Amino acid sequence: MTAVTLAAPGAALRYAPPIEAELDHLAATLGAVPALAERYPLRWLAVQLLEGDEQLLAEAESLGGPAVTAALAASRERLAPHYGEDLDVALVDQRYRFVHALAGQALTRPAAPPLTLSDRIDQVVTHRWLGIPIFLALMWVVFKITTDVTAPFVDWIDATLSGPVSGWVAALLSAAGLGGSWVEALLVDGVIAGVGGVLVFVPVLLALYFALALLEDSGYMARAAFVMDRLMHALGLHGKSFLPMIVGFGCSVPAIYATRTLDSRRDRILTGLLVPFMSCSARLPVYVLIAAIFFPAHAGLVIFALYLTGIAVAIVIGMLLRRTLFRKQPPAPFVLELPPYRLPTLRGVWRQMWERTAAFVRKATTIILATSIVVWLLLAVPVRGEGRFADTPVEQSAFAAVAGAAAPIFAPLGFGAWETSGALLTGFVAKEVVVSTLGQTYAVAAAEEEAVTPTTFGEDLLGIAGGLVSATGEALRALPGVVGITLEAPEEETAPEGLAAAVQAGFEASSGGHGALAALAFLVFVLLYTPCMTAVAAARHEFGSRWMWVSIVGQFVVAWLVALLVFQGGRLLGG
Amino acid sequence: MRELTIALAGNPNVGKSTVFNALTGLHQHVGNWPGKTVERKEGRLILGAHQITVVDLPGTYSLAARSLEEQIARDFIVRERPDAVVNVLDAANLERNLYLTAQLLEAEARLVLALNMADVAAARGLRLNPEALAAALGAPVVVMTASKGQGLAELKAALRDLVAASGRRAAAATLKEVAR
Repeated sequence: MTAVTLAAPGAALRYAPPIEAELDHLAATLGAVPALAERYPLRWLAVQLLEGDEQLLAEAESLGGPAVTAALAASRERLAPHYGEDLDVALVDQRYRFVHALAGQALTRPAAPPLTLSDRIDQVVTHRWLGIPIFLALMWVVFKITTDVTAPFVDWIDATLSGPVSGWVAALLSAAGLGGSWVEALLVDGVIAGVGGVLVFVPVLLALYFALALLEDSGYMARAAFVMDRLMHALGLHGKSFLPMIVGFGCSVPAIYATRTLDSRRDRILTGLLVPFMSCSARLPVYVLIAAIFFPAHAGLVIFALYLTGIAVAIVIGMLLRRTLFRKQPPAPFVLELPPYRLPTLRGVWRQMWERTAAFVRKATTIILATSIVVWLLLAVPVRGEGRFADTPVEQSAFAAVAGAAAPIFAPLGFGAWETSGALLTGFVAKEVVVSTLGQTYAVAAAEEEAVTPTTFGEDLLGIAGGLVSATGEALRALPGVVGITLEAPEEETAPEGLAAAVQAGFEASSGGHGALAALAFLVFVLLYTPCMTAVAAARHEFGSRWMWVSIVGQFVVAWLVALLVFQGGRLLGG
Repeated sequence: MRELTIALAGNPNVGKSTVFNALTGLHQHVGNWPGKTVERKEGRLILGAHQITVVDLPGTYSLAARSLEEQIARDFIVRERPDAVVNVLDAANLERNLYLTAQLLEAEARLVLALNMADVAAARGLRLNPEALAAALGAPVVVMTASKGQGLAELKAALRDLVAASGRRAAAATLKEVAR
């Protein structure tokens, strides 16, 4: 390796003669201010002032007084005929020319630069026309994996929890002399139904985080940000904003913290306000449940459309915000490093899947357990009728009273029933609670109808193991469908039963016979409304109380308006 | 003996942290999450009789104070006036990296250029001409591959020369003061 030392005088960067003349003038004026001359190199300070550095301008004017202001104005005036409004651009441009010439001296490039594997992949993946279709195709694959491939495991966990596990708890309580008491009701209908209803989505999250980890670790995520830069600029955002946005598909909370990677406060806040419109994974359980009930044949398509709707709303809101609240602040330029592609390691991918899913489960067993119990208590306390504690009809409970009071707000959207408004209320605690609350409000009424065949512990274990094996088989058969190949004939639609039937009947009733449309409006509302309290707390931490309230109120209004558009618009179109 | 300060400046992902570790021997995590080096990192370097504080500045593409990182880097270079600035560059992306160099030059920093990742540049068929660069900038230029420990001795030697010259200048300045 070589080291070269030369004592030649620095070949300073020279600008065009008219600029140099003004730099000399300015440096002389600035040099007359001792406080400035002591603190800054004068020529450098003059360059910054001409380039329009507001912070230094304020400092120079406060220390140097009107003389500095006048000298700067005079210099700008004399330079205006040469460069017009674009003096700052001219300075940067001339600096780049200097750099280009310098690089030309210091570097000999090979006639035909050898392409690395990364370069060759990038030629396709970041291609002008192919880039965005490839990006969308990859997103499509991710969501097929999280819906179709995981579905058998979801069913398996659900069956295990609602069947054998609930049975064991009931048997244990009977042995302790508590059979049929409110304790059993609390454990089976509150704890197992609530937390269990969330745990069934662990396979969905594992799959989602698996896909995200692959995209991140391979280096594709940075390309996605690059490819999406043009779209991000349409939002008045930085291409880097796309990273938090993508993280937002997993969870809004880390996404809001990920806005720290952005350079300007304007970009951070604007991105932070738009992140919750990216449909987080906790909302996915709601989509999966409702879409499976109302649109069984097109569930994947409906869910994909919801994700796109979130993006579209973010685009519109972003443009509105840019022209209103953020009008005065221009966006920062886009610089993004594209790391070379790497093969993701199994260990790295597994660690991310595990840590993120474990964080979700921890949340499920603390916040959500508490909410489930509160909701169960509200359901257990009678406010009307003849019911006793833990033995009251749902429609006479305290929960129905609270939710019923809020229901009229949602009537124009087609889901003004207390069951759905109650679920939306608890959804503020965490979005996935919407599912467990729906499970409680609708299924509590239907629970008695199920006939239970007594089984032994051994039979239960065999049944659980057998269920896992067949779920794995089904998931493997669903894999080719991820890229659009269907090996099997589509399953015949089965009539929804239990919860599904109750939810369907509820939406039909509240919408005056437009159940599917109301369900769609409900899904759109869940997609867009006020983020969960954890995300709100993160927003407050990062951006302050004021922006937190903008997020809480603003998103509720946006969600209400868009859902109204879907329901009433759909009815006008004859849906 | 006067306490000397050297700053490390450069774009993100150019191996600046590796150079910092090699100079100071201080254990430090090397990562490339944006904003990772926002906090100020310091280490000690002994060069002959000199104790030198080495400050690792945040990785930036420019010195315009648009971001927190750029603000930190710029304020340090312009206001604290370190005795030398080691500008670490990715030799495989020289032109892009030289923009920061131009701004450092303009800020009247006393530069030492470290053209890092020379192995990657060589693999891409790039031929570096450090002599021409040194002549054009009037600053010492060291070619190195910090990840393999190559070029570190040369960097230290260049710094030692600079420190010696700075000592002579300081002495001359003191003499002038006294004479006055």
